[in-house]
Amino acid sequence: MSDVTTKDTAPLHHGEEPLIAGNPSFGEVTDKISRIVERKTPRVWLLALLLTGSLTLVLLGSIGKLVWEGIGIWGLKVPVGWAWDITNFVFWVGIGHAGTLISAILFLMRQRWRTSINRFAEAMTLFAVICALIFPGIHVGRIWIAYYMFPLPNQMGMWPNFRSPLLWDVFAVGTYFTASLLFWYTGLIPDLATLRDRAKNKIRKIIFGILALGWRGGNRQWKHYELAYLILAGISTPLVLSVHSVVSTDFAVSIIPGWHTTIFPPYFVAGAIFSGFAMVMTLSIIARKVFGLENYITVNHLEKMNKIMLLTGMMVGYAYSIEFFMAWYSGNQYEIFTFINRATGPYAWAYWTMITCNVIVPQIFWVKKWRRSLPVMFVASILINIGMWFERFVIIVTSLSRDFLPSSWDYFRPTFWDISTFVGSFGLFLSLFLLFVRYLPIISMAEVKGVLPQADPHFYAHKSHKASEEENK
Amino acid sequence: MEDKDKFDRHGYWRSLNELADQPEFKENLGREFPETVLEGLAGLSRRSFLGLMGASLALAGLAGCRKPVEKIIPYVTPPEEIIPGVANYYATTMPMGTEAYGVIVECHEGRPTKIEGNPRHPATRGAANAWILASILGLYDPDRSPKILHKGLEKNWNDFVAYWRELDKKYSATGGEGLAILTEPFSSPSLFNALQMFRRRFPKTLVKSWNPVNYNTSISGLENIAQHNLKAIYNFDKAKVILSLDADFLAAEPDSLAAAADFVKGRKVDSPLDSMNRLYVVESNYSLTGAMADHRLRLSPDHLSGFIRALAGELIRRGININLEPASQAPSAFAFDETWIKVLAEDLSTHKGEGLIRVGGTHSPELGLAVYHLNRALGNIGKTVTYYEARDTFDDNLAPEDFLAKGTGDAITTLILLGVNPVYASTGTNDLSSALAKIENTIHFGEYFNETAEHCTWHIPAAHYLESWGDVRAADGIAGVIQPMIAPLYDGRSAVELWNLLATANDETGYEIVRRTWAGILPESEFENRWRQILHDGLLDNSASKPMEINFAGVDKIIINDSPATTSGKLNLVVVPDTSVFDGRFANSSWLQELPDPITKLAWDNAALVSIATAKNLNLQNGDMVRIDDSDTAVPIWIQPGISENTVVMNLGYGRTRAGRIGTGVGFNAYKLRHKKEISLEKTGGRHHFANTQEHGAMEGRAIFREADLEKYRRDPKFAEKMVEHPPLKSIFKEHSYDQGYQWGMTIDLNSCIGCGACTIACQSENNIPVVGKEQVINGREMHWIRNDRYFVGESDDPRVVIMPMACQHCENAPCESVCPVSATTHDKEGLNVMTYNRCIGTRYCSNNCPYKVRRFNFFNYTKDMPETIKMAQNPDVTVRFRGVMEKCTFCVQRINRGKQAAKKENRTVRDGEIQTACQQACPTKAITFGNILDPDSNVARIKKSDRNYALLAELNVKPRNTYLAKIRTPHPNLENMIDSEKKDKG
Repeated sequence: MSDVTTKDTAPLHHGEEPLIAGNPSFGEVTDKISRIVERKTPRVWLLALLLTGSLTLVLLGSIGKLVWEGIGIWGLKVPVGWAWDITNFVFWVGIGHAGTLISAILFLMRQRWRTSINRFAEAMTLFAVICALIFPGIHVGRIWIAYYMFPLPNQMGMWPNFRSPLLWDVFAVGTYFTASLLFWYTGLIPDLATLRDRAKNKIRKIIFGILALGWRGGNRQWKHYELAYLILAGISTPLVLSVHSVVSTDFAVSIIPGWHTTIFPPYFVAGAIFSGFAMVMTLSIIARKVFGLENYITVNHLEKMNKIMLLTGMMVGYAYSIEFFMAWYSGNQYEIFTFINRATGPYAWAYWTMITCNVIVPQIFWVKKWRRSLPVMFVASILINIGMWFERFVIIVTSLSRDFLPSSWDYFRPTFWDISTFVGSFGLFLSLFLLFVRYLPIISMAEVKGVLPQADPHFYAHKSHKASEEENK
Repeated sequence: MEDKDKFDRHGYWRSLNELADQPEFKENLGREFPETVLEGLAGLSRRSFLGLMGASLALAGLAGCRKPVEKIIPYVTPPEEIIPGVANYYATTMPMGTEAYGVIVECHEGRPTKIEGNPRHPATRGAANAWILASILGLYDPDRSPKILHKGLEKNWNDFVAYWRELDKKYSATGGEGLAILTEPFSSPSLFNALQMFRRRFPKTLVKSWNPVNYNTSISGLENIAQHNLKAIYNFDKAKVILSLDADFLAAEPDSLAAAADFVKGRKVDSPLDSMNRLYVVESNYSLTGAMADHRLRLSPDHLSGFIRALAGELIRRGININLEPASQAPSAFAFDETWIKVLAEDLSTHKGEGLIRVGGTHSPELGLAVYHLNRALGNIGKTVTYYEARDTFDDNLAPEDFLAKGTGDAITTLILLGVNPVYASTGTNDLSSALAKIENTIHFGEYFNETAEHCTWHIPAAHYLESWGDVRAADGIAGVIQPMIAPLYDGRSAVELWNLLATANDETGYEIVRRTWAGILPESEFENRWRQILHDGLLDNSASKPMEINFAGVDKIIINDSPATTSGKLNLVVVPDTSVFDGRFANSSWLQELPDPITKLAWDNAALVSIATAKNLNLQNGDMVRIDDSDTAVPIWIQPGISENTVVMNLGYGRTRAGRIGTGVGFNAYKLRHKKEISLEKTGGRHHFANTQEHGAMEGRAIFREADLEKYRRDPKFAEKMVEHPPLKSIFKEHSYDQGYQWGMTIDLNSCIGCGACTIACQSENNIPVVGKEQVINGREMHWIRNDRYFVGESDDPRVVIMPMACQHCENAPCESVCPVSATTHDKEGLNVMTYNRCIGTRYCSNNCPYKVRRFNFFNYTKDMPETIKMAQNPDVTVRFRGVMEKCTFCVQRINRGKQAAKKENRTVRDGEIQTACQQACPTKAITFGNILDPDSNVARIKKSDRNYALLAELNVKPRNTYLAKIRTPHPNLENMIDSEKKDKG
């Protein structure tokens, strides 16, 4: 490899900055990324894992308490039959959107800047979906028979009700998780082989050897691999849109004012991408700092994500306003009441938190200086995630707390266990993430190499490059 | 071995007592909410479980019997054998003070499980109120006193008999000097016989009765003139204009079931041509009667006598001759509207003989007399108001403070307290316990070892009425028998047994005593036949008294003084009995504690109720603790719109200190404040947490409860349906036609419903609905399948109250069904929305998607800590639900199936009215109708054709099977039209 000395020979596209700064060689890329996995366990990492592991125990303890005592340990009541449980579910599923979007849709759209962030965005997706799946699993009253939701042939003559959106959820989220896992794993194979090859002890060699599935990096393997990757991207793309659309039908097919609306599928997908990018942003800002990956995840990458957040933020802002318009335009007194109640009722504080975080905060990204400022975008990304959690809370809880008959209106208050379960789920998410950054390459080495200028050497005429560009069009 | 011995030695019930006396039970004592679930598993050992099973099984053969063989004739099914799984029904009577409610008791294998009204009995007419329905829980209450105690030591009945015989010897020598009896009032041939015998033997003994809430007060002036004990019967069905002066005759006053039925009969509107009675209510509290009023005037109690005099003045001005001193001032001088009183006077005077004025039974004898004169002058006596001699009735009320004061002169050496609880319910701050301590022998007889029993030397547990023999006379004198449904669970003795012992020193069984009494009532030749008939019917036909004429010759003109107006800056205090726990006697009933007050919707509590304006003046908010004058305990404030200004209303019956594990420590004792008329409040800074089952009182301009005045109804009979406009309801799917077999449906007539809550308790009893406790009610998790929604309409400070029963509407297009992922809630082919509990995994989506929010979720395992005896009160036909499962009204599917089976056996279809839901059966006003809507001749199908019929939230196209009939009021045209002026609907 080292004999390819073509540094700086490839012209950049029309004044574009290089995707990877610092102009590393292939070898440097491999070294840089692999070293994160191969070096001695840093003490900071252990401390961080200790913290997040404790939070995971809080989650497990809360679930144990829930199974032992019953759903009553949460603050749920009639009429608010769902609150933090489903809010958390939708929140985590939403976060789980960015990964596949970055991997699949941006891949199909040839957005090559994705390579720096796709690996851990995908990992984040998986972990977020794991956290998400916990909530519908534990929120049922009789957890020990939650398997009744699956279409398992049985002697009891039972079969799930395919009219229920909750069942659609089971399939949608299940499929999404499976597809995302496969996609992520397929992407990992060449890097796993690299780690296998660099492994200095036997155990490591065996483990990575097994995981690498015999990857040798041959031409033919690459050919098949890239085709498989493309197909998986093709399969995953509709899932990005479908999973949150289906999740939104949990609400949209009901008759509760504030839930019963056709705008939900696109609105939820936009929101999910919004929150997913915000979470990728938060994590990548930390990761690039901690692991010194500033050259790989450049400010340009972050700025691109900010632009997507600005776009999706405006999409959700549009959805919020169109909901008000539709409520007024429908002339339906229950709808009108529900939206006035959102903005002025007992949960107005949640509504305005949501508006502030989701609609107003992203507007700062109109300014280039702020769009490229790390502290600004770090704070903004956290605020956006808070806002997106509140979006789900507002939709679920405010609508339920005041529906048709005022006699049953009531105000939901979370209990200690509502909060501990939610906080605990962050523990699980972060623990999984810490394990990931320690044991697997957080940036796709193979793909990053593909976007280095050296990967596209242009030994001959400038012309051929232009020709190939036209071909691509 | 020990358990086995218990069974062998004593027989089954005895051993159950002892089971009930085990440490777990005792440990539970003093806990407020035994059925809450946040406590560890109290394991039931295999041995004790088998013991209990054995007891229950063996009992199956012993149903309703005690040695020697005593005949109880069943009401419906012959008694030869008990078919397991098939309920038997027996008639008996529930005594309550001088009242008597005829009931039918459903027994499963010898175990009473449900109480229903006896259709033959004049006081219940097949209906029931919450107290009657909840008395089944009282029977099985594990906190009832299990044993006779003497100075803390366990004794048996024979010890007491021996002890009394000693005393008997001693006192019979002196004619009973030093002996005193304070009993609860009764109306019973056997007890009255015993009382007379007792008086003959102990002429010098002081015998008085006492009821902390004495509804006999206002009639006592008349009794003095008539020289007889009297009972008034009000014929509301014959009245066209009704005036209630602080008389909550629909819910609290005696004979409320009959009153409600008759009152509603006079308001039935089948077509726009029908006429209705008009109800004027003048009150300080907001009662259910006030909620039914066409015109309600809130008036603080210090103005009530002024109001009566002003009314008399108006009537005299209209040429009616009243033997009553009218008000010297014009009505405008009082705190009420002049037009109001003029319209009322006109209405009353144009309906002579068709009017009815009733004053609250706890008001003074003077007011009672004044109102008697108003009725008399208006020609109502003998028509709408009749007086009967109260036969076999002992009601010689004397408050315990006065009783003891009177007694100390005679130096009471033995005091017998029968069914009264003076230490708890005496007025004021006098500590009666110390007075009791000074008396040598104090004997307490009662179902519970209560506040008074603690301070007595002897405690004799009283048997529940379902365990005892006895007899009663109802309001109009109809005699009935109390027969046991089960042998005493806790070694209790019946009142007749104790009275008989006191009177004769003979220890006889209740059965012997009652039969002996009735041998004197029935002709000897047909005694056996008639006796069996009475046991079967529950009452003696044609035993009603004759109406009584009261001779007023020589009685002067009645003068009532205006009560002194409240000192400025002071508030009036009004205490009223509670609709749930009454005077405190039902404090240990978890069903009644959890039944929210129909107006305030507070459960598990009472409060100092004040109006919005008063609260504002005093800067008070819901839950603020206030000290009343200088009393020791603080009470919490609840703001109740519609209460008269400068008035504080408190419900009695709370703040028990020794009621049992349910009732102890719930609420605040208003008896201790009762003597105060004028009070001042002082905030303590503390806060109280209320369990309120309805947070929001306004309808938000939605057409939920629909009502109109009679004129509007006549102009536009279909007004109710038109109150909501919606596009045509179409489905994109082919809908089920539901045109085969039975199609069950229900109607609830809001014009008849008085909002009493009997349906809720009937449902709770029939369907094994768990009690969740105050904390869980605060968390919004009450389990009632049928609730009463209360809305305020109109002016926020003086609103109208409307009450709407709400249960599962059994929608044909049920939103709950399509969203359940596991098909746990589905539709059956008879149109019922059914729950498969076994399948339910508890996603709660159905509840979220229910527009009526009638589904109830088992957030915890609410039956985990249920005492063994309470389990016996459960209906074996209905599943007990586990935690994590959704539940809701089933239209009493077990009753539907029972009816269908009976019909199938006889090879016929179910007859209309044969199947009654529990709520329908209990409803005093028959507001609920249930049946097959496909059968055009069925009652329910006929009612559904009514103009007033409307489906709530029909615009959602859910097609509810339950529909409502709009309410009609008849405001007087000259008074403000309440119905149309209410456009501004504030909460």
